[in-house]
Amino acid sequence: MLLEVKNLNAGYGFLQILRDVSLTVDTGEYVCLVGPNGAGKSTTLKTIAGLVAPMSGQILFNGEPIGGLPGNKVAGKGISFVSEEMNLFVNMTVQENLAMGAYMIRDKKQQKNRLDFVFSLFPRLVERRSQLAGTMSGGERKMLAIARGLMANPKLLLVDEPSFGLAPLLTESVFESLDTLVKKERLTIMLVEQNVTKTLSVTDRGYVLENGRIELSGKSRDLACNDHVRKVFLGV
Amino acid sequence: MAKQVEKRLWGRIIKWCRSLAGITVMATVVIALAATFNRGGYVLVNAIVTGGMLALVSMGLALTLGVLNIPMFAHGEYFMIGTVTAYFVYTPISEYIGAHPDSSMAVLGPLITIIAAMAAGAVAGMVSELLIFKQLRKRSRENWVMNSFLLTVGLSVVMINGHQMLFGADFKGITQYWAGAPVMIMDVFISRDRAMAFVLAAVVVTLFWFFMTYTRTGRAIRAVAQDETGALMVGIGLNGILMLTISLSCAMAAIAGAGLLFMYPSYPSVGLEPLYLAWFVVILSGLGNVLGAVMGSFMVALLKVLTVEYIGSGWDFVVPSALIILILIFKPSGIFGSEVRGVLDK
Repeated sequence: MLLEVKNLNAGYGFLQILRDVSLTVDTGEYVCLVGPNGAGKSTTLKTIAGLVAPMSGQILFNGEPIGGLPGNKVAGKGISFVSEEMNLFVNMTVQENLAMGAYMIRDKKQQKNRLDFVFSLFPRLVERRSQLAGTMSGGERKMLAIARGLMANPKLLLVDEPSFGLAPLLTESVFESLDTLVKKERLTIMLVEQNVTKTLSVTDRGYVLENGRIELSGKSRDLACNDHVRKVFLGV
Repeated sequence: MAKQVEKRLWGRIIKWCRSLAGITVMATVVIALAATFNRGGYVLVNAIVTGGMLALVSMGLALTLGVLNIPMFAHGEYFMIGTVTAYFVYTPISEYIGAHPDSSMAVLGPLITIIAAMAAGAVAGMVSELLIFKQLRKRSRENWVMNSFLLTVGLSVVMINGHQMLFGADFKGITQYWAGAPVMIMDVFISRDRAMAFVLAAVVVTLFWFFMTYTRTGRAIRAVAQDETGALMVGIGLNGILMLTISLSCAMAAIAGAGLLFMYPSYPSVGLEPLYLAWFVVILSGLGNVLGAVMGSFMVALLKVLTVEYIGSGWDFVVPSALIILILIFKPSGIFGSEVRGVLDK
């Protein structure tokens, strides 16, 4: 198991959001976490990424406990988090943002390799390399956020709401690049999405989170056919 | 290809000239030159020397505000620590130089003094981060800007009175750092101390700019200023960066204090004047904008020198304050714009 979350409880201050969440992600898998608004999907990712401190429970990455470590230590273990609000460095250029993504890689040659790799994945960013990140469009910023996450050469990529605020065509292209990463680069991705139909059609396995609890889990194909899922999310 | 690049460069220069920043900078240069022709070169020289030292204080202030989100009202006290360290280090050195005028200490002495002041400032900054700001950060991040502001005001009172208790309230000054005839530039005699003070400021500002632009750690500091969560996500350790930033900015204030000891003798509240001026600069140039603070320093210094020259020396705080009020009403983000999105919202 690459990532193993056991009975995780977490929240903000006195407000508990996650209740006994358990999930696993295996190497090379494309796993999604779906659920209605406010179910705790983003909180789950933030807790794994070390941005929210867990109240109790365990998070194991490669068998090593990472629960409660600060975000920079978690990133150092090989987990990249692409947040919903992207958290780009808006007054730095695209190139500088990508260089910051490789902050933990000290080897110049390896940095160059990573840069070439993300540029081949998102050719759009090559044209924009000297533009300030804050002045780009939403879709380009989303690409940059994913590209910055990839610069660190992560073992696990956590992606929060890649389609949030994007036009359908751009959403499609973001999904395509995630697909390429899983299929060609054998990267492990954990995806949180509102767009349930689309998500369940591309991922291998899924978890359904409601009111901070895992209600259902299984193969994405089976989940898409599940009566409960169809009733709650797909409205059929 | 080369022509295209040239064209784009010109386009950018013209665009900058038309922006508020460009207009202000050009107006400053024109006013400075006009005043120089009108009253003589000393106006320009005074403005440049004061501006250089002010830049050291206000850059640190802008950095603390941008990276740590602390509206630092105790920054002048790190300047004071610089003056007091320089006084106690340089007094014995100057006695030694008096006894052996040809020794190498005549050159090395001032440098040792300034390095000692820098170290003292850095240590003082680290201690205040460890004992005060880190503790506050651990306990609560709500209302951070207001709480940390109140803490720094308290810290300032404690440090001023601490100085009075330990070293007394009298003036502790030195006559000069560098002996020798004054240098003459543009028909103005500048004492060697003033000239060296400007050289010192220029060297520190340049080094600092290189550090922030080209080094890994400098870029990490900028990243933290722009997005703290983003910085964590790419693996930048916040604690180390915050500690480094506060010690850097306090060290720069202390260098300014030591560099100006021949003009401002050390006494408990010596730091208040540079503190207020630095706040004028930071508001003028945009909260948290470190490089804008350098330009802003020269503008405020020029404004101060011109006020003393044309209106009278009692007015030198009135005119900049009036300008600050106007800026806060009409352009709250400052002339150069703030590099940090909404420091005060956090």
